[in-house]
Amino acid sequence: MGCRSCEIACAVEHSRSKSLFGAVAEKSPPKKRIYVEFVPECAISVPMVCHHCEDASCVSVCPTGALRQDGIVRVVTHDIEACIGCWTCTSVCSYGMIGRNRDLRVAIKCDWCPDREGPACVSACPTGALVYKEVDEFSGSKRAVAALKLAQGVSAAEIR
Amino acid sequence: MADERLVPTVCPYCALGCGLYIKINEGGPMIEYMLDHPTNEGSLCAKGNASLEIINHPDRLRHPLKKTETGWLRISWDEALATVAGKIAETLRDHGPDALGFLGSAKSTNEENYLFQKMARTLGSKNVDCCARRCHSPTIPALKRAFGASCMTNPIADLANSDCIFVIGSNFAENHPIVARWALRAKDRGAKIVVADPRITPTAWLADLHLRIKLGTDVALLNGMMNVIIDEGLWDRKFVADRTVGFEALADKVAGYTPDKVSGIIGATPEAIVRAARIYAGSDSSAIVYSMGITQHSHGTNNVAACADLALLTGQLGRSGAGLYPLRGQNNVQGACDMGVLADFYPGSVSVHDPIAVQLIEEAWGTGPLPIGMGMTAEMMPVAAASGNLRFLYIIGEDLVNSDSSSSRGRRELESLDFMVVQDIFMTDTAEMADLVLPAAAWAEKEGTFTSSERRVQWSPKALDPPGEVRSDLSTILDLARLLGLDFDYAGPEEVLAEIGRVVPSYAGISMGRAGERGGVIWPCPFPEHPGTPILHQEGFSAPGGRARIVPVDYLPPAEEATLDYPLLLTTGREALHHNAGSMTRRSFSLMKRAPELFVEVNPRDADRWGIVDGDLVEVKTRRGEAWARARVTTRQEVGVIFMPFHFPETNMLTSDVIDPEARIPEFKVAACRIGRMKGLI
Repeated sequence: MGCRSCEIACAVEHSRSKSLFGAVAEKSPPKKRIYVEFVPECAISVPMVCHHCEDASCVSVCPTGALRQDGIVRVVTHDIEACIGCWTCTSVCSYGMIGRNRDLRVAIKCDWCPDREGPACVSACPTGALVYKEVDEFSGSKRAVAALKLAQGVSAAEIR
Repeated sequence: MADERLVPTVCPYCALGCGLYIKINEGGPMIEYMLDHPTNEGSLCAKGNASLEIINHPDRLRHPLKKTETGWLRISWDEALATVAGKIAETLRDHGPDALGFLGSAKSTNEENYLFQKMARTLGSKNVDCCARRCHSPTIPALKRAFGASCMTNPIADLANSDCIFVIGSNFAENHPIVARWALRAKDRGAKIVVADPRITPTAWLADLHLRIKLGTDVALLNGMMNVIIDEGLWDRKFVADRTVGFEALADKVAGYTPDKVSGIIGATPEAIVRAARIYAGSDSSAIVYSMGITQHSHGTNNVAACADLALLTGQLGRSGAGLYPLRGQNNVQGACDMGVLADFYPGSVSVHDPIAVQLIEEAWGTGPLPIGMGMTAEMMPVAAASGNLRFLYIIGEDLVNSDSSSSRGRRELESLDFMVVQDIFMTDTAEMADLVLPAAAWAEKEGTFTSSERRVQWSPKALDPPGEVRSDLSTILDLARLLGLDFDYAGPEEVLAEIGRVVPSYAGISMGRAGERGGVIWPCPFPEHPGTPILHQEGFSAPGGRARIVPVDYLPPAEEATLDYPLLLTTGREALHHNAGSMTRRSFSLMKRAPELFVEVNPRDADRWGIVDGDLVEVKTRRGEAWARARVTTRQEVGVIFMPFHFPETNMLTSDVIDPEARIPEFKVAACRIGRMKGLI
């Protein structure tokens, strides 16, 4: 809906003090890793965040190994210390999900909030538009909803 | 960490009553999501996420301030309260109690609001009101007449059980995002969502059917739908026969509103009207969600009455999933109304015109005769100030000069007051006009109960200490009342809540302990063991005879229409990142970063006609004033109508001051205007 609650929650979670009080006062203001993009042609807002691709191109191209992918859960993490700010990852990312920390001159991206049980953006989302699920579980729930709509299309035709 | 503790609290912004924790530790307070809260399940909108930003804000008022010729002077609390008490006594002596005005706050707790109106009325003044005048004042008389109770009928989460959600005049996806959470859940179950709105809002994105109606034509649409429902026999004969009166008059009235005729008025096709009527009446359980798009009109009371008629005609009330949802705007506006901070009601919705019921309150309070009859409303107070009938005004937590319609007039009029005292957390534009400013504690710095839109009464404990010498509204009111010689002997909010229970029957069973449980209690709760009443009107209505009253209404056009001089119509509303007059959100860093300035939405065809390009600074002019804003050229807006959010002071300099004759709400939603590109300024 474009309320940008996720952006604020993300920036706060990734600030040093992790509180809005401190976050706002910090020298380098906290950076978000989720982007609510407004698409003027359709007049619709879409939240965009790292997909943690199964075969992540940003990880393959990273010259220093700052970007790494977990062998099991496939989360793509980024080590600030090892990053040299060459922006190769930014150029290969298909979704434009690797941002720039101007002060530290390093890349910045979604890390699934390692200090929390689930990502902060998902907890904050008031409408439930953001979900945090495994692929099987997610496609299963999408399938159930789609099946329901197809079934109802049949019964709705009778009402009209 | 050893000192870490979690304090549950209620979000201070809109009226949904979302729960959250404030985590107190060495690094400063931070928000923790309350995953088991029944309304929001932990999630918060952008404002809720940013709510702590206002607590430690550098702009917070820290000391009482007195206006002098050289500017604001810091004074002691003793001097400040003595000055206010002295002015009240002086005004009472010279001009009588009707020269005193009291504007309460829908951001204060129930206890504070209760004491504020008790103080005003014990002093003999009828002039008590609050900002509900500008949002849901039409809901109160219209629903009280129809159902006997003027509030939301079902809990918000119950929307998930609806099979049809009919949204008229509400953009909840942006402004009450938690409502969208439950509406989406209903949609996932297969519910149909019908939206009637002139704009393509994010709420309209959810819709299975979007009726793009013209501004202020809601009654025509609703009557048209009822015409179809009666014509096709879709109405609930048993419900109408057993539980309502007035059907015949309604049938006569809506007979003339055929879909073809209505289509000509509202601009949507006859087929869409028929479809909306069939979906609403044909679903097992349907809900109506409405908000400012219904109420802020010169015929707002009629609009609400028509919504109630539609629900009664189809029996879509008093069951899970079937109800009427007036979405309210301030965290305690429902509570302020329940506590009688209204010119037309004593606590517990006791009419000021009912001497017998008022006498019961006199007995409970142990006071002399209390004033009978309608007092001045929030809109009348500035006018009365200009004519000299109102001399003293006490405002708590209300930015009157920015939230009033046609605000430059109100600003001039308030200058005629002898004395104005404003109690607030920030130096708002209204406070700037005051003679004396008292600093107030923000929500998390005090304790007490807040009543959300769904009648949920929740105890919010104190989480933090207020800055400087700041006191809670409660202690300020108590000290002032004692100085005025009133017998206000309360040890704290808990005792005030106990007294509220004795005066307001629906709060009788609510104690600090009950309201402090997760999710609080939903009133009516008439005795301590009562579980609360999430769904109203299940058995009977509280209207006379236990039957609801169907009150047919006619369509009336808005007061202003486009003319040669003012060829466009201006409508106002909310945007996702700001709240009401903006005194809090416009000070919030993360919100201002994302929504920094006033904008005006213009259709591309209108933009072409007046030479406006997206991003231009545009001057908007109405008969009452002019303002400028950044143009957003978008097809979300229909041709001939422009939209501005009202969170910035400029918008209400433009709005119309024509008021609804019964509810006295100004027509914020329609004003004839013209626009042009600002020359030399881009």
